[in-house]
Amino acid sequence: MQTQIQQAVEQISTLILGKQQEVRLALTCLLAGGHLLIEDLPGMGKTTLSHALAQVFGLNFSRIQFTSDLLPADMLGVNIFDNQQQSFRFHPGPIFSQVVLADEINRASPKTQSALLEAMEEHQVSLDGKTHHLPEPFFVIGTQNPVHQAGTYPLPESQLDRFLMRVQLGYPNWQAEKKMLQQPQADRSVRLKQVIDIQQLLRLQQHLGKIHASEGILDYILRLVTFSRESDLFANALSPRASKAILQAARSWALLHERDYLIPEDIQAVLPAVAEHRLRAALAEHQSKSSLSRQLLEHVDPLAA
Amino acid sequence: MPRLNPSAHNHAHLLLSLVLLVNAASLFEPLQLWILLLVLCAVIIRLSLFLNWQKHQLSVRTLNLLAVLSAIVLAYFGWQLGLLLGMLNLLVMASSLKLMLLASRRDYFQLISVQFFLIGTGLVFNQSIAFSMLYGLLTLLLLLSLAFHISPSSAWLQQSHRVGMLCLQALPIALLLFLVMPKLGPMWQMPTAKGTETGLSERVTPGDVAQLARSADLAFRATFDSIVPNTSQRYWRALTLEDFDGKSWQVHPYRQKLRERYRSAGLAFRPAIEGPSFDYQVIAEPTQQRWLFGLDIAISSDPQVWLSHDYQLVSRINLQSSLAYKVKSYFMAPLQEGIPELDNRLNLQVPAEGNPRTRELALQLRAEHVGDKAYLQAVKEVFTAGGFRYTLRPNPMPVDPVDQFLFEDKAGFCAHYASAAAYMLRLGGIPARMVTGYLGGEMRGDRYMSVYQYDAHAWVEWLSDQGWQRFDPTVLVSPLRLDYGLERAVAYEESFLLDTPLAGFRNIAWLNEFRLMLADMDYLWSRWVLGFSRENQQDMLKSLLGKLTPTRLALFGLALVLAIALLLGLYQLKHWLPDRSNPSAWYYKKALKLLAKQGLQRPSWQGPQDFNQEVAQRFPGKAARCFGQLTYHYMRMNYRPMSEQEQKASLSQLRRLVPQLKQALSEGGG
Repeated sequence: MQTQIQQAVEQISTLILGKQQEVRLALTCLLAGGHLLIEDLPGMGKTTLSHALAQVFGLNFSRIQFTSDLLPADMLGVNIFDNQQQSFRFHPGPIFSQVVLADEINRASPKTQSALLEAMEEHQVSLDGKTHHLPEPFFVIGTQNPVHQAGTYPLPESQLDRFLMRVQLGYPNWQAEKKMLQQPQADRSVRLKQVIDIQQLLRLQQHLGKIHASEGILDYILRLVTFSRESDLFANALSPRASKAILQAARSWALLHERDYLIPEDIQAVLPAVAEHRLRAALAEHQSKSSLSRQLLEHVDPLAA
Repeated sequence: MPRLNPSAHNHAHLLLSLVLLVNAASLFEPLQLWILLLVLCAVIIRLSLFLNWQKHQLSVRTLNLLAVLSAIVLAYFGWQLGLLLGMLNLLVMASSLKLMLLASRRDYFQLISVQFFLIGTGLVFNQSIAFSMLYGLLTLLLLLSLAFHISPSSAWLQQSHRVGMLCLQALPIALLLFLVMPKLGPMWQMPTAKGTETGLSERVTPGDVAQLARSADLAFRATFDSIVPNTSQRYWRALTLEDFDGKSWQVHPYRQKLRERYRSAGLAFRPAIEGPSFDYQVIAEPTQQRWLFGLDIAISSDPQVWLSHDYQLVSRINLQSSLAYKVKSYFMAPLQEGIPELDNRLNLQVPAEGNPRTRELALQLRAEHVGDKAYLQAVKEVFTAGGFRYTLRPNPMPVDPVDQFLFEDKAGFCAHYASAAAYMLRLGGIPARMVTGYLGGEMRGDRYMSVYQYDAHAWVEWLSDQGWQRFDPTVLVSPLRLDYGLERAVAYEESFLLDTPLAGFRNIAWLNEFRLMLADMDYLWSRWVLGFSRENQQDMLKSLLGKLTPTRLALFGLALVLAIALLLGLYQLKHWLPDRSNPSAWYYKKALKLLAKQGLQRPSWQGPQDFNQEVAQRFPGKAARCFGQLTYHYMRMNYRPMSEQEQKASLSQLRRLVPQLKQALSEGGG
């Protein structure tokens, strides 16, 4: 079964070139049942990545382009009066899909943002007193422009917290980009082969809980979050929800690497993606150095028995 | 641009402001009032930032303007303050401005260090045990502030616990340093701010309103090694006043000049005396003056202390802090070894005018009585039969004070009586002078005695053929003053300690007990902590080492450094000792040490698998294989679910692999 995951990675990597690590993290996030936030400049392949993810898992996919005048109803759906049946009928909005790409999430008004984030948390939508369940698995990929780009409503910390991971794609390297340019033009229509079906995906997700996390690993996670709370580097420290997220993501990462127990490297691999958007530097001078989660890792010894 | 608020809910900044406020308040006397107000403003600003009432800090431009204005004001008022006080004012002013500015880390650390320095300065000005405790508390608060700065989100209890532990660890080292650090002399001249507060002064004007009797401050303490003088013997001489101008008594300028001359020549007054003596040690409170206290005839072997020809003990330097000195008092010996012809000349001088009725009375008495003794008796009778009254609230006597006192008011305190009596004796041709000092003292236990400012007293000395004789006219009027102290002598008018708050509670037994207990603690503090002088230190070292040779001292110093290192080591011991609770980690760390010896140090954040790869690159071959297996077993034991048996098997593998790795490394390295 795990080899299927490897196949999925390879499939996606034919489309997103030279971004193995990021693709793996995105898969990890999906396996862990969390939502993914991709933060990057326009044109870096955010949309392509989410398309590819949906395709290899054979999930249905919809895309919502967020703008400043997008209303919650545009996304969730509306009740429309049906003249023939003389009753209201619910027209589900684009959010009723298994993979939802919420594009440029920080351009929408806070009202719409919070409607989406509520749906992400509850896996259901309430409209006019009726609850509509979202399909399972339900996976939201939010993309956002870096905050310093004009015309954005930055997500508040409490809502950033809903995303299990935040991944930054960044520019591809020389070879990868050259290879991309050499590819034939018509590859827009290329469909990736489905390698995992829904049943298998759900089974994998259930298997996650069985991956062994030894006491040493739990202590390592606790040392990390405690350091973030006690050090003067961070203004926002890691919450218990964050430590749960780290463990869940690390298990998923171990699954991706065909291991049924956790090792410190799993934590170290996922921590930047899981923790970076939950931390905030205490002082501007810290921000400018290396990334905050990198600093956090460098201060804590994984062994320290 | 308004700057954002770095202090919102920042406990470190709050504590720092609090410390600055208390620190400045404790320096109330040496500081100027406007600087205290500035501190208060800064603290209020910081407080409102802390509570987020105010969201933005003052702009740097506003603060610069304020700083320039303050500097100008300080320069204007600060000229007459002298260097030390000026600098202190400047420092407090600067820290209050810095507190307004406080934003970055650097500001914070600067301000913290300045606060530590200010606490040290505070101990120069306030030395009592209460203040020492206050400053200790402030130090703790500063440390707590630092703890909050380093980890802002920890709870109060946790922080206090941490700071408390650190201080406890530092305590033995601090004690060692206190006991053996060489005592340095004072680096700067102390200000003379407190001089006016003592009960005595070098000029006594009885016509002025009484002030001296009302302060409950401590004057000095005496610890007796011999028998203790009974109450009528406790005349502590401080000053001998020989110059009278009709209103005031003061130290005679000629005597002063003579004293300077003798002292610069190094000539000490050494009266040849013998007989029984009181042996005691005096710890005098700081007076900023030179006079000291002793019972007649006081001889001190202390090099600091010097005896003047008028039997007055004088210190070589001003009493800027408590001074302890040893005295032998030969209480039976007559005071007959002064400079007779000088004593005669100085102590017969009377002003040519003023106090006509007293003059007349003296002439009349002198004509009626033949011989000095008879005249003295007549003067005594003036006081015993004249209907005089002892009071602490006499009328002011601006013109001809002696006349007004003797013939109209007939009420006054010791200085009035002593002044009038000495004046009359001089008018009758008997050399006489006024002596001021303290009469009395409160015994605590059976060895030590406290003398307070309200024990201040003045009496008369007249020169007979056997030398100077004491004559206390106050006692003729109010015998209670001698036997029971001032408190009983003026009980009827309730003027005792009128100005001291809570004086009315002195009669409540347990409160009085508490007051005396505090006094005891303060005594022990000043005797053993403040009074721990260079001599004490040397005595202590001598009793430890025997003779003080350079080798012994050097060895002792070395032993001490070792002792401190050992103490520090003890605290770290837990971290140095290998942790046996996890044997796999122990073996793995041993292997890491072997690699570190070969120059490959594991970065403290690296995971075992990543490090294994690094090792494989660096030491290909047997060593890498060995370490690979080590890593495998270590990770198996620590991160995988395993049965007991598998655990044991892995552990024995680890045990086997460590020496193998050592061998492989030595082969590779060789």
